[in-house]
Amino acid sequence: MSTTTTGPLYPTTGEPVAVNARRNRLGVWLCIVSDCAGSIALLIAYSYLWSLNVNNAWAPPKNTWAPDAPFWLIVLGIVLATIAMWWGYKGLVKGHKDRMIIGATLATLITLVTFIGQIVQLSTFPFDIQDGAYASSVFWLAIGAAIHLFLVLFLTMAMIFRTKADRITSDNPYHARLVSMWMTYVCIIIAIGALFTLVMKESPNSNAPTFGTFTSQQ
Amino acid sequence: MSVTTAAVFEQPAVLQPKQHGKPGGFLRHTSIFTGLAGGIVLAAITYMIGSKLVPWGTQNADFTQVGLNALLAATMFAWVIGFMAGIGAFAGPIRWALGHDLTHDDAEYMAGKGQGKFRYWKYTTDHKVVGTQYFIMVLILLGVGGFLAMLIRTELGWTWSELFDPNFYNSIIGTHGIVMVVSLIIVVTGPLGNFIMPIMVGARDMAFPRLNALSFWLLFAAVPPLLATLVMGGIRDGWSVYQPLATQAGMGMVGYQVLIIVFAFSTGVASVNLITTAVTMRARGMNWSRVPIFVIGIIASSVMGLIWFPMYQYSQVLAMSDLILNSSFFNPVAGGSVWLYENLFWLLAHPEVYVIVVPATAGILELMTVFLRKPLFSYKLAIAGFAGVVGISAIVWVHHMYMTGFAPQVGYPFMLSTELISIPFGFLVLVALGTMWRGKVWTRLPMMCVYAVIWDKVIGGITGVYLSDVPVDQYMHGSMFVVAHFHFMLMGAGLFGAMAAISYWFPKMCGKMLNESIGSIGFWTAFFGFQITFFSMFVAGLQGMPRRVLQFDNAFNVSNWISTIGAYIIGIGMLIFLYAIITSWRGKTWAPANPWGAKTLEWQTSTPVPLENFPVLPVVTSDPYGYGVPDPYDAIEQELARDDNEAKVPQ
Repeated sequence: MSTTTTGPLYPTTGEPVAVNARRNRLGVWLCIVSDCAGSIALLIAYSYLWSLNVNNAWAPPKNTWAPDAPFWLIVLGIVLATIAMWWGYKGLVKGHKDRMIIGATLATLITLVTFIGQIVQLSTFPFDIQDGAYASSVFWLAIGAAIHLFLVLFLTMAMIFRTKADRITSDNPYHARLVSMWMTYVCIIIAIGALFTLVMKESPNSNAPTFGTFTSQQ
Repeated sequence: MSVTTAAVFEQPAVLQPKQHGKPGGFLRHTSIFTGLAGGIVLAAITYMIGSKLVPWGTQNADFTQVGLNALLAATMFAWVIGFMAGIGAFAGPIRWALGHDLTHDDAEYMAGKGQGKFRYWKYTTDHKVVGTQYFIMVLILLGVGGFLAMLIRTELGWTWSELFDPNFYNSIIGTHGIVMVVSLIIVVTGPLGNFIMPIMVGARDMAFPRLNALSFWLLFAAVPPLLATLVMGGIRDGWSVYQPLATQAGMGMVGYQVLIIVFAFSTGVASVNLITTAVTMRARGMNWSRVPIFVIGIIASSVMGLIWFPMYQYSQVLAMSDLILNSSFFNPVAGGSVWLYENLFWLLAHPEVYVIVVPATAGILELMTVFLRKPLFSYKLAIAGFAGVVGISAIVWVHHMYMTGFAPQVGYPFMLSTELISIPFGFLVLVALGTMWRGKVWTRLPMMCVYAVIWDKVIGGITGVYLSDVPVDQYMHGSMFVVAHFHFMLMGAGLFGAMAAISYWFPKMCGKMLNESIGSIGFWTAFFGFQITFFSMFVAGLQGMPRRVLQFDNAFNVSNWISTIGAYIIGIGMLIFLYAIITSWRGKTWAPANPWGAKTLEWQTSTPVPLENFPVLPVVTSDPYGYGVPDPYDAIEQELARDDNEAKVPQ
């Protein structure tokens, strides 16, 4: 419900920025809920196919699973970027604009490196996307992570420009907080994806139903 | 609802950011025409480059033209991106990222100030413009879907009369299904959620005006790929496009998948906006016990869309991946599972029924109080009903999969949960009947629609309880009985409910009174045609006629013949109703601000609604349904009005 609040005013509508910030915060939370539902759909697909092992075709050829380390390096990258952004935000709240710029710049650089790492991982998987259900699922988890990282990259760059343009200040730090919130969510969802690939490799269903020999017509 | 006028925010001079050029900036040069040009150019470039790069002849295990489908998907997405860029959708995020925030003048330009009717052709942020755009889009989509329905019923009028090629007939079925589902999802939340709801809660606009425009234009951009499917082999697998048929389908499937992926973004953005507006932008004094029930219905519908639509979206993302990248999500030979598709699909596709029916139900509950001049019977029970529907909608999807062989042992828990959802729906019917009980009805067109909706919902609900039973479903599954049942819910309750809501809010939306004589003729014609069509279809289903067939046994001739006659009657009724809408809208006389004497906020502002909705933001001092309850503020206002009138009497 609308309430009167003191403080700086939002230029477009003339409302206090705190009121606008509350509205934006709810909007971001709802976006997170929606994005989370989509990410859960991918995780459902992964675990569902892992548990069924249909036609004994879950595993990639010759059991060449994707190496674990790149997944966790990507998680590490986004976690570091998120810490940098929170560090910048906390500094901004205390009145240190420079710290916000440094934090956002660090977050951008780390995210950029992580994003490139994600692309490298996608192009160096030891299988193709059509090599069974595991390969398809892992590819899409990685593509999902890449899309999230790209969005984070856009947001952290925006934080640099907006802070330099004095759109984000200690009186009005809300967008930096919302971006930090979003990045925290991205950390969690990418980490969950990495966890799935770590603990769900060999299917528990060793007695899988088999289907015909249709693939022989390829 | 009593209202006093007061400024919630004092309006001191607000420091404005630097104005870059004229207000509106880049958006001064964009419109639907630049959007079309951008979309066509980018699609053409993508097609030309893609056709050089993609090996056309590539086939997957099912001999699907992988290369051609990939090229088509890239071209369609390029169309969407080019259109959105051309109409100016990316200008806002880029300006924001660069720190060039909108000034008040920018915001007013983007809201369409001073642009006349041309603002309806632009990326305009005013919620009333977006609501009107949705309204017109819904009418067009319903027209397309209805025309396809006429073709279906024409084909089924007589058995063995093959008017259409079987493949084309299947395409008509699939396209009719998805066009109708899309249009019914937005028929209430699009026009009325955008136009009426913000005024109803006393806000100046939606919480995120640019996202509001984005949601509409994404929908607009998603429709051409769908309609293009009709000339590209069509959607031959019904609107549910089960796997692995979809992966083996032709190019038409790509259009379907692009539609759903883009439409899901549109729905998600709209849901975020509607919920945030209702929760954070309510007028001062409008606590949760004073929120109109229509707003609650919009919130409930948006919550379901927000949570479940991504599941449907990802089912199509993965299906497209199978189709053009040859991945293995739904192809059992390569480790995929068709049950995975069905689970992801029905996780939305069943709640989608409630996404359609809930706002329509909320609309009729809202208008009933006005035409009965009674408070809503048990407001809290209505909220419990909506909350129950939202909650239980999450645990009912498997009843669509009883006969698929998927985990037969879970059929019974899902049978129970599906039957349980009739309880919160029963609450809503009880609230409607309780509100009517001993009421003195002011019988106008919207109220006539209410009777129809209650009847249809009871029929659709009871037959739904039958179908949720595993033993009955084993017999009825895939029959015309199922088709009749879901038409009673989606069309009988959803579409007729939307007609009730639109005819009620028409004077506020379009500024003119709907011609009720012609509208009533159209409505009752469509209603009786509907009963003829679908009761006859119940009979065909009970006789054992399967759905989605082109030809059938002579035993089903009579019921199909009657159904077809009923369908033509529906078509005539709908055309008459459409005529009433168009001629009324083109009328010269403006409607009064509050023709129904309603108490909710949208009726307290003038017609046509000014750009900022209210001269000053309202303050709510009582509940919205306090008809007949003395209110001290009303007495004061009447006293002031009387004094004012007396002062105007010429001496």
